[in-house]
Amino acid sequence: MDSFTQTAWLIPLFPFAAFLLLTALGRGYRRAGVMIGSIGSLLALIMSLLVLFERLDPNAVDYSNSYKWIDLGDYTLKVGFEVTNLNALMLVIVTAVSFLVNVYSAGYMKKDERITVFYGYVALFTFAMLGLVLSDNMLVFYIFWELVGVCSFLLVGFWYARPAARAAAKKAFIVTRIGDAGLLLGIIVLFWYMPGHALDFSSIHNVFNEGQSGAITMTITTSIALLLFMGVIGKSGQFPLHVWLPDAMEGPTPISALIHAATMVAAGVFLLARTFDIFEASAAAMHTVAYFGGFTAIFAATVALAQNDIKRILAYSTISQLGYMVMAMGLGSMTGGMFHLFTHAFFKALLFLAAGSVIHAVHTQNIHEMGGLGSKMRITAWTFGIGALSLSGIPPFSGFWSKDAILGTALDEDPFLFAIGLAAAFCTVLYMSRLFFIVFTGKSRVRQPNEVRESGLAMAIPMVVLAVLSVVAGFVETPWNGWLGNWLTGGGEEVHANGFAIVASIAVGVLGIYVGWLMYGRAYREQSPAAARMPWLVQLLERQYYVNEFYNVVIVGTVRWIGKLLHAFDEHVIGGAVRLVGFTAVAGGRVMTRLNNGQTQTYGLTAVIGLVVIIAAIVGRRFW
Amino acid sequence: MSSTFAPMTWHDTLYLAPELILAAMFLILIITDLILPQRVNRSLIGWLTLAGLLVSLGAVIWRMIDMNPSGVSAEEAAKAGQAISLLGASYRVDDYGNLLKIVFLIGTSLIVLMGLGSTQKDDAVTDKAEFYYLLLPATAGAMIMASSGNLVTLYIGLELLSITTYVLVGLRKRSSLSAEAAFKYVVTGGIASAFVLFGMSYLYGVTGSVSLADFGTALPQALTDYKALVYVGFFFLIAGFGIKIAAAPFHAWAPDVYQGAPTPVSAFLAVIAKGAALAAVFRLLYSSAFFVSGGSKDQAGDDVMFALLVIAAVAMLVGTLSALRQKQAKRLLALSGVANAGYLLVPIAVSVTIIHSNNFAEFAFYLVAYLLMNVGAFAVVTVIARATGHEELRGFSGLYYRAPWTAVAMLVFILSLSGLPVTAGFFGKLFILLGAASVKAYWLVAIMAVSTVISYYFYFGIIRQMFLRSNDEAETEIHVPAVTGLVIWICAAATVALGVMPGPLMKWIDMVFTIQGDLFVR
Repeated sequence: MDSFTQTAWLIPLFPFAAFLLLTALGRGYRRAGVMIGSIGSLLALIMSLLVLFERLDPNAVDYSNSYKWIDLGDYTLKVGFEVTNLNALMLVIVTAVSFLVNVYSAGYMKKDERITVFYGYVALFTFAMLGLVLSDNMLVFYIFWELVGVCSFLLVGFWYARPAARAAAKKAFIVTRIGDAGLLLGIIVLFWYMPGHALDFSSIHNVFNEGQSGAITMTITTSIALLLFMGVIGKSGQFPLHVWLPDAMEGPTPISALIHAATMVAAGVFLLARTFDIFEASAAAMHTVAYFGGFTAIFAATVALAQNDIKRILAYSTISQLGYMVMAMGLGSMTGGMFHLFTHAFFKALLFLAAGSVIHAVHTQNIHEMGGLGSKMRITAWTFGIGALSLSGIPPFSGFWSKDAILGTALDEDPFLFAIGLAAAFCTVLYMSRLFFIVFTGKSRVRQPNEVRESGLAMAIPMVVLAVLSVVAGFVETPWNGWLGNWLTGGGEEVHANGFAIVASIAVGVLGIYVGWLMYGRAYREQSPAAARMPWLVQLLERQYYVNEFYNVVIVGTVRWIGKLLHAFDEHVIGGAVRLVGFTAVAGGRVMTRLNNGQTQTYGLTAVIGLVVIIAAIVGRRFW
Repeated sequence: MSSTFAPMTWHDTLYLAPELILAAMFLILIITDLILPQRVNRSLIGWLTLAGLLVSLGAVIWRMIDMNPSGVSAEEAAKAGQAISLLGASYRVDDYGNLLKIVFLIGTSLIVLMGLGSTQKDDAVTDKAEFYYLLLPATAGAMIMASSGNLVTLYIGLELLSITTYVLVGLRKRSSLSAEAAFKYVVTGGIASAFVLFGMSYLYGVTGSVSLADFGTALPQALTDYKALVYVGFFFLIAGFGIKIAAAPFHAWAPDVYQGAPTPVSAFLAVIAKGAALAAVFRLLYSSAFFVSGGSKDQAGDDVMFALLVIAAVAMLVGTLSALRQKQAKRLLALSGVANAGYLLVPIAVSVTIIHSNNFAEFAFYLVAYLLMNVGAFAVVTVIARATGHEELRGFSGLYYRAPWTAVAMLVFILSLSGLPVTAGFFGKLFILLGAASVKAYWLVAIMAVSTVISYYFYFGIIRQMFLRSNDEAETEIHVPAVTGLVIWICAAATVALGVMPGPLMKWIDMVFTIQGDLFVR
């Protein structure tokens, strides 16, 4: 029986119904709003779990169902959903984090005036994300892909009274649009070359899985893959389009956990997994993907070392971890990428929620104004610690197993990327130690220490649940048990168990914590002695390698300059033409108005003249 | 004559049930209105009118089900689906007529509801009951036009529709604008009737018959004998119907008349009267000009169709261009109706080929879309006119802050009017566009696209007005009467529904309707 699988299309409808209800209710019903949003996502979670259990049956077959939407000539546009093991896993990740964030927000957003609007947006986002996960063809996927972008825009700019929030929302939208343009182009090229213009994932799988004997040439395959990858770069915050993600931290913290850590930013990685066959068919594309991922991993990890805003550190950490996932995909390990996505969703959401709890208590995001919070906020400190250890890749926490799967693959496939991955892992441990020690240990530097207290149950429970998940989620795939890989790929992928990789990553982890403790744990310092010796390096990292400034000067500047040129062209050439057209139209309109002078005899005359002209034109045509 | 004349039997009257119901209801309501004391609210008449329309609608649907049985053999289905021909083929009951009658009846029902919300409270209308019951013969006229099988019935339907609407336009007796509009409508309508009759007389002259069924065989011969007369006949018919359709250059009356008439009557003229005239042209040309078109030699039919395409193109351009400077809501909708008449003429006039044969489905789909968005938009105009006391476009300013849901519904109508997704108007225009493209009429496609783009200018102007806050209108909440609200929401919901899933309706029309069986009168 797979009755739940066949009705999986219901899953996105629960949050959608919640969204409609919340919108209809308006701002009045605060408590009811929270309940509606939470129940919507809870129902989706239950349903997703049921689907997942059905998928665990080794005999489960992929199920897809589509509905003919529109017939346009001989082309039929279809919409539908598909349930595969990959989708089922994503469904559970999305609904689980969404539900927990809903619960958490009941505490975090309690005092916000527009809490119902917030829940409405979250419900809409959850709907869009689930639609994206379930979609069975590229077109529907793209529609939902844009819709999650819109939701992200709305939620980043949720506190629109703050100029920074407005700017960040705009930036997030525009920067990801650059990637989306590539994605759309990729879809169009794909549509053009696919046999029968099919865009559904199973046809894509069939066409590209045949290798190079397929209907599509190598060059085309590579360009499609690279265009699709542009979408990934934008959405999953890969270098060089990562700049929007740290700014997006202007949104409410639960949103950072849900959208900008666990789900939406992972959509890019999910797209890679969904269209993995296209990428696998092109070695060049795979290399590009791997190196972009690897570079992003190390790049963002170093930037995170020098940031002072707790959420920005976590944001750069997210970029870095997404880099790991992308790198894993590029190295051919879909399992590694998805596995890390899976564990990362839990521990990064946990870190954000815990950070939110801290911010809620001390009303600042600057880590130098925190300190010594561990004794006052035990639950937060413990859960944050678990998240940090997991992210740092310390066994037996879940992050260790997934990072190890990626590093193991890297060692086998490309030792250079393994080295980069290892270096990034060291940075990761270091910045997490720095963050943890500065915030939770030592003396308190909080402005109003008496007001600091542990957050309420609504916020604590989701953190604890995520902490438990962060501990146990890693055991689905270990070097001696490739269950997840077998389940996801049908046993097509070998397990990269490598003793050296394990030892190296544990060593790096322990070393990182030790160094971190030496630098930040023993006593609080605004700056570490190492940093004091290299102020330029700190500056470079603090300013995020000046990428934003570079964009401002070079790209925005150039664009502005081109814009000026174009504007001049526009003003004088196009503008002239447009004015001419506009003038003609207006003049035409004026003549029409004159004919419409209110005199009935003119009307009759117009009709007769019209008739004569038409007769003359048509009959006259015969004599030419 | 292809069919011998047979007198009406009692059984035949059953086929005429939808029209007879309207006629009977009309007579009953006139007498009721006379008997009812003055103090009784005339909205009772309105509800009875609505009831009559719905019963008639039921009769049409019942007939359609009867003619399109499901789950029977193909042979039986073909037998049941055969068109019913009455009075020597002068009246036809077929799927073509029935589909259009459904559209007309639903449209008029919505307009009656709109009237219950607006005209009922309009002090300028002194005889409220007349407004309701005159809609019945008008609709019956439209239905007769859709069902007529010869020129005489066609003309009777046309005049029944026209004369009743002359009265309806002038119903706002305390408004000089209304009187002026009625006068202009009578005069222009008279010219139109003259054109139509003149054209008909020539067709009769050259073929010796008034029956559409005979044109197919008689016209080729007539064309060789009296070529010029055939041309004159057709062109006069086109001009006459062009006035009724309000297609440019025969449209000049429309803005004045729509402006002066009670708003529900404007909606009736824009949707039902226009739709009925289009339906008559469709049937008439496919029974006559169609048989002298195509092939290799110069054919008059091709010229007639081409003339229709030219009129369509001119209507689109003139309609949108004149609307650019329009500041009055009903005049704007009238001019947008001129452009839409152009769009609706395209599927009638583009040739039917093997790869492109669902002209009628395109036509009917857009007619439905046009009905929904236009009736909805006129209903919103009644709400705003009531709240602000005028019908200028500036009345829309800040609507979103005064009646948010109405503004959202209006947004749907405007998106549909401008042909943007996800609305019925988008697919309606798209289907027509693809149809024109598939017969390689690219110049027409270009004109459709250009006029659509120009139209964004004034449509988006309304949107901007609605969603921008303004100071010159008091920010009081606007009260929407429940019945008007119902009309607005039915139209908005259906517009969106057809915009999301156009497939079922298109497929159903294609399934029910065949050119051979339902359109040609044989």
